Amino acid sequence: MNRRETLKLMGGATALSVAGLPSLSWADTPKEMVTVVKIAGIPWFNALEKGIQKGAKDFSINASMVGPANVDPAQQVKLLEDLIAKKVAVIGLVPLDVKVCEPVLKRAQAAGIKVITHEGPEQEGRDWNVELIDSVRFGEVQMERLAKDMGGKGEYVVYVGTLTTPLHNKWADAAIAYQKKNYPDMKLVADRFPGADEIDTSQRTTQDVIKAYPNLAGILGFGSNGPIGAGNAVRQQRLQKKIAIVGTVLPSQAKALINDDIIREGFLWNPTDAGYAMVAVASLVLNGKPITDGVEVPGLGKAAVDVAGKQIKVDKIMRINKETVDGLIAGGL
Amino acid sequence: MPDSLKAALARFRRSHEFWLLAVILLLCAGLGVANAQFLTMQNLFDLLTSYAFVGILALGLLVVLIAGGIDISFTATASVAQYVALAFANAYGANWFTVFAIAMGTGLALGAINAQFIQKLRIPSIIVSVATLNIFYGLLIFVTGGKYIYSLPDWFATGIFWFEFDWGKTSSYGVNLQILVLGVSFLITWLLLNRTNIGRQVYAMGGNPDAAQRLGFHTFRLNMLVYCYMGVMAGAASLVQAQLAQSVAPTVLVGKELDVVAAVVLGGASLSGGVGTVLGTFLGLTLLAVLQNGLILLGVSSYWSQLFVGLVILISVSVTAWSQRERRARRVRA
Repeated sequence: MNRRETLKLMGGATALSVAGLPSLSWADTPKEMVTVVKIAGIPWFNALEKGIQKGAKDFSINASMVGPANVDPAQQVKLLEDLIAKKVAVIGLVPLDVKVCEPVLKRAQAAGIKVITHEGPEQEGRDWNVELIDSVRFGEVQMERLAKDMGGKGEYVVYVGTLTTPLHNKWADAAIAYQKKNYPDMKLVADRFPGADEIDTSQRTTQDVIKAYPNLAGILGFGSNGPIGAGNAVRQQRLQKKIAIVGTVLPSQAKALINDDIIREGFLWNPTDAGYAMVAVASLVLNGKPITDGVEVPGLGKAAVDVAGKQIKVDKIMRINKETVDGLIAGGL
Repeated sequence: MPDSLKAALARFRRSHEFWLLAVILLLCAGLGVANAQFLTMQNLFDLLTSYAFVGILALGLLVVLIAGGIDISFTATASVAQYVALAFANAYGANWFTVFAIAMGTGLALGAINAQFIQKLRIPSIIVSVATLNIFYGLLIFVTGGKYIYSLPDWFATGIFWFEFDWGKTSSYGVNLQILVLGVSFLITWLLLNRTNIGRQVYAMGGNPDAAQRLGFHTFRLNMLVYCYMGVMAGAASLVQAQLAQSVAPTVLVGKELDVVAAVVLGGASLSGGVGTVLGTFLGLTLLAVLQNGLILLGVSSYWSQLFVGLVILISVSVTAWSQRERRARRVRA
């Protein structure tokens, strides 16, 4: 057999299997949902994947998760294109860049694929966006906590991942506005600092900030490594009695700093719940259930729904403090 | 003043390093006047500590650049070395000597892989190191599942603290692990490049590889040494970073290549090989560190800080280029 014949045979086999498979399996195999996340292999999305797997079992959807190896929007687009070609029933997405993802999502919708996003309130080309927190409320709750530790007065600074990370800056805006309204004796002494995605950057920033503003009494860190870096710096300089730290952290990472009262309290939403919620919403959509305000999302309770804005919100702020931290770590966070 | 010293000074006045030093001194004077906190021992120690990681990597990269190559896989090498060394320490117990031996040994092995491909197959070093960056990093993420290590052995988390002295109210300062390793790295790299036969061969090979080969240099052995040196430095730097951050996070180092490249190139090393000094790298690193630090101390809004960093880099590089052009023009006229 020469090469051409072999190729022809192989081609024939592929065509056969493509034509044959769907008709064989359509009826009894569950529909497929693939969720594209920001980056594969980091603890946050490993926890989210657990929720997706649990949802897959509970709702009989063949749900799985993929993600690029680097934080790169172009690679997300590539993965999304593959999913369109694969003709999955639902695409889940935690977008890195809403503009970059928009055209390919619209193509997916045109092909009849449902699109469910998470952390993408501004994403065009979606059917629903699922959030476990209200962005404004999330910022306010953390400011409330910081204000409590600062006695409602004194100087503070705010860290974000980058100056353009949408959610971090939204929380920061909300927190600062809340302080201006309710705690006039507190003062934001500098514009928000970037770098809260990396421990060593926020550690260095904190060392500098402590020197530049000797009366500093509070640090609010958005971006899961911000409070950790700040905490390391504050511990080194033995300033934990003077400077209160509050912010978003991962429980296992923050445990030591929380137990030493350096990070006064951490806030987060549970990524496992988020993964589960995405599959739950997908199941509602696939089964043609109407989604209106107050709809019961299985396993998560009542949701606030903005039908025109395509937003589904379940209020699930997770508080990480001395009492809760061990339980959360046991739960795999 | 003896003539030789005078000649050396005159040579220094014409060098890239001189202008860089001038920019730095100007900047420091300005910052010192503007904020009393800037010219303090405390700030000096903080700066040295937080830039040790970038500095050690910069020294490794300097040697590679002088040899006429480039390596950007060092962040992945560092991530792997860090993970291997501290996972081992957690599982089987270790001491300072063994963790450094493991981390630097891992770096050495990965550097040797780079050198093999670059030298044996004659693939451009940038392509090889882009590929190995992804391979090393990809394997690490695959094997570890991206899990962070938060609990480090006590002796490692505590670090070292020599020549402790008190400074002001509650803080005390001393030579810590970061500063010690940074200092040793500078010393060894300076000795290697300026006081050994190998160092001179590295400069010669970077300046003109064909000539070096015809002169009978063992270019394979030299390249092997250069990339392994980079790997060893990455291993040492990785532990310095892990000790500072008090954790091992496999995903945070990759992506910092440009900080390191910027420090070395700003220090006058040429991307086309044969040129570069340890002093220049030190000054390049200092300029970047002082800038970042100074902007916060001055209370410059973070929205502006990147713009300033870019401007100062551009100005300091332009000053050098301008002074060199002047000199060339004068030589032509003469």
